[in-house]
Amino acid sequence: MKALRVRWLCLMMLAIVGLFLVACSDSEGGTSDDPEENASQETEGGSSSESASGELSGEVEFMTISLLPAFEDYLNNLKDEFESMHPDVTVTINDVPYDQVSQVVLTQASSGSLPDVMNLNTEFVKKVAANGALVNMDEAADDVKDDFFEGLWKTAEVDGNVYALPWYTTTSGLIYNPDILAEAGFEEPPSTFEEAWEMSQVIYEETGKYGQVVGPEMHLLFPKNGIPILNEDGTEAAFNTPEAAELWGNLKEYYDEGLYNLDVMLNQVSMAELYAQEQVAWWSTGPQLYRQVEDLSPEVYEKSLGAPAFNGKAGLQHANPMNIAVAANSDAKEAAIEFAKFVTNAENQVEFSKEASVLPPLKEAIEDPFFEEGKDSEDATIRSRYYAAQALADAENMSPPGDDVLEVIEQVQQAFQRVILEDVDPAEALADAEQQVNNILAQ
Amino acid sequence: MYKARHAWLFLSIPLLLLLVFTFLPSIAALALSFTNYNVFQPSETEFIGFDHYIRAFQDPVFRETILNTVYYWLLVTPALVILPIFVAILVNQKLRGIKIFRLIFYFPVLVSVVITAILWQWMFSTDGMINYFLSLFNIDKVRWLTNTSTAMPALAVVTIWQGFGYYMLFYLAALQGVPQDLYEACELDGASFWQKHLYVTIPMIKPMIFFVAVISTMSAFKEFTLMLTMTDGGPLNSTTTAVFLVYKEAFERLDMGYASAISFILFIIILVITLINQRMLDRTPN
Repeated sequence: MKALRVRWLCLMMLAIVGLFLVACSDSEGGTSDDPEENASQETEGGSSSESASGELSGEVEFMTISLLPAFEDYLNNLKDEFESMHPDVTVTINDVPYDQVSQVVLTQASSGSLPDVMNLNTEFVKKVAANGALVNMDEAADDVKDDFFEGLWKTAEVDGNVYALPWYTTTSGLIYNPDILAEAGFEEPPSTFEEAWEMSQVIYEETGKYGQVVGPEMHLLFPKNGIPILNEDGTEAAFNTPEAAELWGNLKEYYDEGLYNLDVMLNQVSMAELYAQEQVAWWSTGPQLYRQVEDLSPEVYEKSLGAPAFNGKAGLQHANPMNIAVAANSDAKEAAIEFAKFVTNAENQVEFSKEASVLPPLKEAIEDPFFEEGKDSEDATIRSRYYAAQALADAENMSPPGDDVLEVIEQVQQAFQRVILEDVDPAEALADAEQQVNNILAQ
Repeated sequence: MYKARHAWLFLSIPLLLLLVFTFLPSIAALALSFTNYNVFQPSETEFIGFDHYIRAFQDPVFRETILNTVYYWLLVTPALVILPIFVAILVNQKLRGIKIFRLIFYFPVLVSVVITAILWQWMFSTDGMINYFLSLFNIDKVRWLTNTSTAMPALAVVTIWQGFGYYMLFYLAALQGVPQDLYEACELDGASFWQKHLYVTIPMIKPMIFFVAVISTMSAFKEFTLMLTMTDGGPLNSTTTAVFLVYKEAFERLDMGYASAISFILFIIILVITLINQRMLDRTPN
């Protein structure tokens, strides 16, 4: 009797384990780790989402990041319009909170059902692309490639191939508080980094408030000042230079003089909060973020003005587009690629820019009269959007290339934190970081 | 026989859930730790033996995170074992409205970790409430969460604040099982308030003390939400615990095999500590 019970128990366990394994097995067979191979599969294998008549068909899942419910109407219009153009295609929109994107993508990848079209940020899109999970857009979207600004087209570049279409983006404008400037004896905001730090010194002495604040994006300061993070082929660190040591040495001096604190750099306080509390005289960022100030303190926003963001020695602005990628193992790949192109075309991007105060990374779209408006506006967001739009043609994505982007950024940020928190000599911190980055790239 | 069959029938559903959602994923994670599993290329998975375990022991960041975890455990567990005893004794008094006090002490347990993190981040900020109080006594501002030496103790304070009400309930249950006549006998012998608790309460609730020590240890070794929301593991990895490293390796660097290996090293550490606690519990007369 006992033996029978044990046997039943074992059988039950085996059945459950079997069920579990079947549920977890990858029915898609996975993808190759070679992006080139995936690309050739795309072109040779044809598409299950294109019928013999050439008409697209299939179900396309579109994963967006934190766009619902704010842009529900816009997204539903996109879906309806695409479905009416391609009656055999069904689009479903699945919005995911920003901080859950990697978990959602990994969970869906492990069950072999990645969303067909994915909105991914620059760092994560490179990780996913390096694992061979995305369609090569240099080939699949060759017909629209030249529509994008060159510096932004390469945002999702891994090993010489681009794996996503740039979607909405922004460069920076400057929102500033004229009252704080006036209290310190200034009428206009700074136009260069050097001027910004000189003014910060006076502002701190006269008002006890901050001017220029060092943010967490330490890795962007290098390219903004003409110091590349990696060498041209992305195989070695290139930031360990006398110019970089001088830059960090100056920033350390400013910190010691009390010109900025570490709360923003270490993500303890957001710049929006600091600005809304009138603790800081200006904030250089994408104009779409100014509404955070308006939400926190309408009075401060009301008196704020917009200006062009100042550049570093390189004279370039950083633009960080959101990206639209297509899963390499999508069942409706052709329809998904077409949908990705549709979402990122000039007409739809201009429409989205009008709703979200962002910019389209397309040459034709930025020529829309909408982006010529606002030069004399009293509203900080509208005026800054004008300046941000003007800077877009010369902007580029300054994140380090390759799929080790997060690890490289972390090393640069930690090296600077050692300079500030542990009084490590900038040259020594840079040399250590260079070694660490080279180790990461060599793996 | 009849009773046993019914017992198994009732147990089968929770056992099934445990098997599917705990044991099988754990076994799968153990298996993954010996492979180069890549979530995007499962067909390319290869057995690589103990490579991940060797890498872990050579990885200075992993060693640092283990030390951080042990430091956090030493800050948090003694406080969570001792402090709730006093609070439980207090709220075990037969006073009018004592249930309200019990609720107040338990209230932080009900607050979500993320809200707790935001609240304490604001309190600990350079211009926050804590530094304001210190300034009343002419004490300079402390960079609680942006200094490598104060960040972890600050996180420990938050954990203790949020956790002590939970452990207080365990002690309260244990205290209510202590026979009243033992206290009366003590009083007849002329024992003071403290002597009564030292010679009656503590020995009587000793099994519960060990139990709390075990579960607060496990909880300390698994903590990472506070680190993620309040400091992001910084500054300079000073609040990166082992589980936080697992999260980063798995979800940021997509290295599932290495993350699984670290998880199992951590599992063994917790198992050893739990067994030591269990052995000590077995040796106590109670």
